Order: sequence, then C-alpha cells, then structure tokens
Amino acid sequence: MHKILVVDDESDICDFVKNFFQERGYEVLIALSGEDAIELSRKESPELILLDIKMKGMDGLAALKHLREINKKQKVIMVTATEDQNKMDEASRQGAADYILKPLMLDYLENAVERNLGEDI
Amino acid sequence: MSADKKAPSWAKMQEWFVGKGTAGDGLAQSPSSINGKESSVGPETPPEPITGQRSTYQTFLENASRTMIRFKKPEHLIKMIVKTIDEQLRVTHTAVLLYKENKKSYVLIDSKGSDGLKIPIGFVRLAVDNPLISIFSQKQSYFISETGILRYEDLIISLRSRDVLEKQPQLYDNILLIKKQMDLMRASICVPCYFKRELFGILVLGEKISGEPFTREEMGFFMTLANNAAMAIANAQLIENLHQKVEEIKDLYLKEHSIFIHTAIALAAAIDARDAYTHGHTERVTSYSLAIAKELHGLPEIAEYSNFRETLQIAALLHDIGKIGIPDRLLNKHNKLTPEEYEEIKMHSIIGATILSPIRELRDVSREVRAHQECYDGSGYPDGLKGNDIPLVARIIGVADAFDAMTTNRAYRKERSIEDALEELKRCSGTQFDPVIVGAFLLAFEKGNISTVAKQKHFNDMDDGS
Repeated sequence: MHKILVVDDESDICDFVKNFFQERGYEVLIALSGEDAIELSRKESPELILLDIKMKGMDGLAALKHLREINKKQKVIMVTATEDQNKMDEASRQGAADYILKPLMLDYLENAVERNLGEDI
Repeated sequence: MSADKKAPSWAKMQEWFVGKGTAGDGLAQSPSSINGKESSVGPETPPEPITGQRSTYQTFLENASRTMIRFKKPEHLIKMIVKTIDEQLRVTHTAVLLYKENKKSYVLIDSKGSDGLKIPIGFVRLAVDNPLISIFSQKQSYFISETGILRYEDLIISLRSRDVLEKQPQLYDNILLIKKQMDLMRASICVPCYFKRELFGILVLGEKISGEPFTREEMGFFMTLANNAAMAIANAQLIENLHQKVEEIKDLYLKEHSIFIHTAIALAAAIDARDAYTHGHTERVTSYSLAIAKELHGLPEIAEYSNFRETLQIAALLHDIGKIGIPDRLLNKHNKLTPEEYEEIKMHSIIGATILSPIRELRDVSREVRAHQECYDGSGYPDGLKGNDIPLVARIIGVADAFDAMTTNRAYRKERSIEDALEELKRCSGTQFDPVIVGAFLLAFEKGNISTVAKQKHFNDMDDGS
C-alpha cells in the first residue's frame, strides 16, 4: 500500500483528498502545516507528498526545502492556486517532482499521484 | 401531447417568478435591491422544510423562487440553494459547479457535506471537454434519463445491457468515462442548469443519507429548482452588467461634459481676445454668476431647470458669443457710439442666441443668452421682457455683467470704484435689475465670494491712495 502525505492548511482540503485517496487504496497522512509535514515526513517516510504552496506560517516552498533535506526519495507534488511562474521555477529548482494548479481536475490529481509513484516502481 | 399541455407548466414557472399576488413583491423589490441592500431574506433563511409530498414541493418551489429573485449576487443565491438542498434532502454531499469564462471551465463554487465528502470550494474544476460536461452541453443526457438528470444508477443499468452497448462501442466508452467522472466526485446524481440553451452549471449530489433512491418527485423538483436558479442567476448577472453599463455611461457623460465645458471656455476666450478692454470679462462674469447662484439656494425657479448650475455656467461663458458678429471698429471704439452703432451692438444677444440655437443640448442656454440684456422693468433688449418673464439665469448674468462692466476699463469710459458700482446696483435694483439677484450679489460680496480682478484692483487703488 502506497503511503502519501497531504499538506494543506485548509482542513477541508486535507479531509477531502485523504478520503479521495483512501478510497483508491492508499494510506493517507495529513498535515495542516509545514512544521507538521516535516515531522510526519521524518517519522512516517511517505513515498509521496502533496504540498500546498500558500500556507500560513511556513509556506510550501520553505517546507519543500526541509523535506528535500530529510529524504530525497520522497516525491513532492506542489499544489497551488497561483500561476506565479517564479514560484513554480523555484519549486522545480528545489526538486519538486510535479505541480498541480487549483482548481484542479480530479482525474488529473489521481493521474499525477499514480504517475509519480509509478516512476519509482 | 398538445402545445396547450405544455403551456400551463411554463405559465406556472412564470407565475413563480413575476407572479401573482405576493410573488410580485419579488419583482417590485428588485429595483431597490439594485441600489440598496439585499432583502432581509438571505442565505441563512432557506424556505420552510418539505415533507416529500407533491403539494409541499410546489409550495417549497414557490417560496424558493420568490426568495431567489431577491438575490443581488449570484454567489449568495447558490449558497442558498446548496444550503436548502443540504437541509431538505439529507444527502451525503452537495456541490455546485458554475461556468467561469476566465478558466474556460466549470468551477466548484459552493459545497456542503460530511467531512471528507464535502468537496472543498475552489478546489475542483471540470474542463469544457470533460465527458460529464459535454453530455449536458451537447444535450445527450436524454439517452440516459428522460428528465435530463444524470443518475449514477442509470449508468450502471446501461452498462448491464451489453447487447446494446456492443453495437455502440462509442456509447459504451462514453458511459464509462462519465461513470468515472461521477466516481471521482462520488456523485449520485448530476442536475444540469441551463439558461437560453447554454449549460450554465451543474448541481452534483451524493447519496441520500438514508440510502434510499431519489424519487420521481425529487427529480422533478431538482429540474425546476435548477431552471429557476438559472433564471435567477442570469437576472443577477444582467443586473450586474447593467450596473457596469450605467457606470460606463456616467464616465462617458463626465468626459463629454468636460469636453463641452472646455469648448465653451475656449469659445469664451476667443470672444474676450477680440476686445482688449474686456480681457477676462467672461471668466469674471461666470465666476460672479456662480457666486450669486450660491446665495439663491432653494429658490423655486431653480427647480425649473433640468441642470441649473450647468446652464448658468455655460450661458455665462457664452453670453457674449454674439460679439463674433459685431465689427471690431464698434467693439473697440473710443468715442461715444452713434444711435445706429448702438443698435448694431445690441444685436449681439440675438446673434449669440442664433449661433447656439441649432445645438439641441444648448437650447436652454440659447434662451438665456438672448435675454441677458433684458431689464427687470422691461426697458431692456431685444424682447423687452419684464420681471420674472426674463429667465432666472439671464437675470443673474445681467447683474454680474453690469458689475464687471462698471468695475473695468471700457473703450468708452474709465472704470468706477467698487463702492460706486455697488451703489449703482442698489440704485437700479427693481428697475434694471431683479432685487432678489442684487440682494444675492451683495450677500456674496460681503462673504468675500466676489473677488477676482475687481477686488484686486480695489486693493491696488487703496495702495495707490495711501
């Protein structure tokens, strides 16, 4: 069973995405902040992380940097409502595997996760 | 099925909207809701609960429609609909997707439901080519359900009839794609929302918490609700567009108006430039006239003008425009004018009015320009008008014009002192001038609102004297 971590400061989104992937046979962890995400990443070593860029406190880009230091094998997919290309480039430089723009298409979300997990296997 | 058979249901819907009796209140209130606040019926107060009987649905719909028409903002309406469905029907989750032009997609704009099932607002969109969208936008849903509503269980039933689907592989693929999209949102039914044949949005519902299937009545209810909502949303958008148009027109008017005033000022400057002695005359007359008008606030006659201040300003700027038709030798003559020459000079108010008369927007102004040399006792020209037969603006300009003429050098005589001029105004109050206007002028003078060159000169004279 693939283990993934969903990071978003909106609990609605975490709950929905968790439910969505659980139904599809994943083990899903959720974190409501960058700090929680780092801790869970250390303890649970998820294979893939869905990481929101815009969060209160530590934002997605800052969290990404730490997450990459902890474990380079973890795939990180950035999720964002911004079309700010600079942030995208920055995330890509930091080693993000992919990104998804909100509002998103659910099949795209599903495919992005499957695709990024698939590459490793 | 005759056409008559269809008419009543449409009439019924119209009734809900524009309505009989109290339903009309909704419409009657809409103009006020354009400017004012929304009606007290907000998203927090959905109509009374329903019990599931047909007649109650009807009542509910009537109430819902009446409520809908009062929403100024479509988002509020959507919230009300979602909240109502959530409360009335007890479903696992509800979501509304509306078409957003800038995203070229149907975006989830409101939702409700239990944790994990509620689709987060703004999180999900469906592209226009999504099979779940195209089945509705291309109106193919009839092959699945006659009501136009897409039911998950109908899809499952369709997929069972292999013999039919084998002959239509494309249909089979399409149904699978649609099923997949409904799975993604855990949708039990999808209700299309059309306006003028365009797919406006989609209402997505999860299962009933009771696990029971949706009834026929409930499906009918969804369709009517969706149609009414589409109309109400379209209304709200029309009102929004109307607002924008009104703002644009206002802007345009202001721009045009400013061009207009500046043209009048330019013309006035051209008139002034011809006569070295009257330099700045029009500008001062305009300023004095506006100062007088300030003191006349509340005068009933003002209400007779559609735009008093503007008429006054433009008429004052253009009152001497007729001097274009007077030869320079007369305008700048140093000696006393002969009676014939004086008659010729007197023509300037008629010439001015004639120049302005073809301009429809200046019809009021033209009348005032013609009358600005009339006297209160009827001794003026060109028509010998008397008292209040002389239009108000012309009476104001008459006083302002005379005061400036007295306090500046003219070709034919030296200026008088300000005190002399004020005395002269008082002396001629009731004969040459309207006493009300003279009173207003004196008041404005006392308040220091008649300043400009006259006062400047006054101070200079005092300096010279000391």
